[in-house]
Amino acid sequence: MQFFLDRLFDGISNGAIYAALALALVMVYRATGTINFAQGEMALFTTYLAWGLTTKGVPVALCLLVAAAAGFALGAASERVLVRPIEKHSLLATLIVLLGLFSVLNASDGLIWGKGNQSMPSLFPNTLQSYVSVLGARLYWANIGVWLLVAAVVALMFGLFNGTRLGLQMRATANNRESAALAGIPVGRILMLGWGISAAIGAIAGVLFTPLTPDSLGLGEMFPLLIYASAAALFGGLDSPGGAVIGGLLLGVAEVMLSAYVPAIGGQLQEAIAFVAIVAVLLIRPQGLFGTREVERV
Amino acid sequence: MTQALPLLVRERSPAHRGLQAAGFVVLAGLAIFASTSNPFQLGQLTIALLYATAIAGLNLATGYTGQLSIGHSAFFGLGAYTTGVLVASHNWNPLVTLIPAAVFCFATGLVVGLPSLRIRGINLALVTLALGVAFPELIDRFPGLTGGQVGLNINVFQLLPPHWTGISVAGRFQYYYWLSAGLLAIVLVLCATLTRSRAGLAMRATRDRETAAAAMGVNLAWTKMVVFGLSGAITGVAGSIFAIYLGSLSADASFTLTLSITLITGLVIGGVSTTLGPVIGGLAVYFVPYWTENIRQGEASELIFGVVLIVLMFVMPEGLMGLIIRLSRRILRIEPQPPARPGHRPGAVTPAPFDGGPTTVIHHDEEPNPA
Repeated sequence: MQFFLDRLFDGISNGAIYAALALALVMVYRATGTINFAQGEMALFTTYLAWGLTTKGVPVALCLLVAAAAGFALGAASERVLVRPIEKHSLLATLIVLLGLFSVLNASDGLIWGKGNQSMPSLFPNTLQSYVSVLGARLYWANIGVWLLVAAVVALMFGLFNGTRLGLQMRATANNRESAALAGIPVGRILMLGWGISAAIGAIAGVLFTPLTPDSLGLGEMFPLLIYASAAALFGGLDSPGGAVIGGLLLGVAEVMLSAYVPAIGGQLQEAIAFVAIVAVLLIRPQGLFGTREVERV
Repeated sequence: MTQALPLLVRERSPAHRGLQAAGFVVLAGLAIFASTSNPFQLGQLTIALLYATAIAGLNLATGYTGQLSIGHSAFFGLGAYTTGVLVASHNWNPLVTLIPAAVFCFATGLVVGLPSLRIRGINLALVTLALGVAFPELIDRFPGLTGGQVGLNINVFQLLPPHWTGISVAGRFQYYYWLSAGLLAIVLVLCATLTRSRAGLAMRATRDRETAAAAMGVNLAWTKMVVFGLSGAITGVAGSIFAIYLGSLSADASFTLTLSITLITGLVIGGVSTTLGPVIGGLAVYFVPYWTENIRQGEASELIFGVVLIVLMFVMPEGLMGLIIRLSRRILRIEPQPPARPGHRPGAVTPAPFDGGPTTVIHHDEEPNPA
């Protein structure tokens, strides 16, 4: 039981981070209809920024806010300057521009903050003693903090989407850009806002995730996370924020459990197994678990 | 503007054939000129041409049929490992292994093409991503067969040029170069023929509007699966020759998602849905990072590469070959041959019949001639 709970707690923490990044991907998908391949690198850039500030003695909470603000600016600027001029040409050209942005951000991280891996200080008490016992298992405050903050972000997003005028405008734009524009919604600004919020969520995910493992802030940190988050978003349905969150949590827990209880495939094959499971789901429900079915007017 | 430009040339007329022949001569001349490079440069060219071949394969699925694949690194690796295992463990003649590699990759492509019957667009891209992610893990999982993380080494003597070529051991880079150039030439002719045929029309129709294509009698399932299989087979054979050239394989080094991304990048830079775009793309994705590495080391080179990528897409979102085609149309335009009709004298002065419409559509994203 204790072994199981330990794994479960780890799984939920990873899953919460996947969920946050998947939510970020879904927001971009709903705005622009593409996967933002640079999402992970945007998060990494802002995480480095936060880490750089902590080394100057700035409190971590303030760094988190700065990172989120920087992420917002980065995301909004990318949409306006890089994505919008190119997206009308083709989906492929947009993907390549985003891959270019991926390279630029990753290289900038290395140039500004160096190549070596760094340890990021945590927002929460993060010593070996700072835990509560649950049925013999250790539930660290850092984990609880991650859960609560991600839950808060998700709740905030759902409040925004479903409870505000701005959220209504965002949903209208995602649904049908032309009609939204005709109804007087400033579509351009809404798109920028969507990308900005998305990158801000990514920044928060990065700042929360990195302290969970010592020495984990490095140039290659975010790419595997992006892959998992894309899988989670796909699993839940690319246009469904709720699906992304559920997909992320399921994937995080399944990943940890597989490597703990099925050693034959854990470790080396867990990514492959996760993907195969998701492809199997898609074969039955091509739109993902909670996605909207594509309907074409003939 | 005078009436002189653009020059009009009737398709399949002697003038058009002449232009095509001139194009072939220029390309062959370039290939021969490149073969005089030193062994190091020949090695670089070999890899670039193999990338070009792999991209030509990808072009069939992604360019012409609209199935975005981020998993083609797996086909490249599958071909390479098929050759590697057969030569290293079973003493096969390296060139003979191209056949099982092609068959194996074709079969895998069919299976991977299967989800595309239900899953489309960016969702399909993520499914192929699964293939790309899984491949290195699978190779590592079966070290007995593949050498696992340690890698697979082929005895260099098994990979030397065969006797009948008359190439000495010292000149073996010539052999590898011509092997990859020959494969590329065959693949380009194959792709050009396929995409200009009825099957090519079915592929484009599937890409542009599935529902309409199905209504016109295109068998969507068959088209998508076979194209994906063929696409995988071509990329796989390129991987086979990659194994023959390199002699040592490591999935974690050579066949990761990075390769898939390189191939997609090459395809888009070169020009999606064009015959020669993959060649330009293959050369570009190999040599541009190499040059930026020469200007500045390490991260700075990656930064320059990213900026180059973004600028290229802004300047020519249709790719270099697409740009060349668009510009060359101002000078020279190939008029499609009106479809032959019983009772009509070829070349008779009659207005093109309306049902010639779809036939003209074929040529819109093709280059007018290879030159």
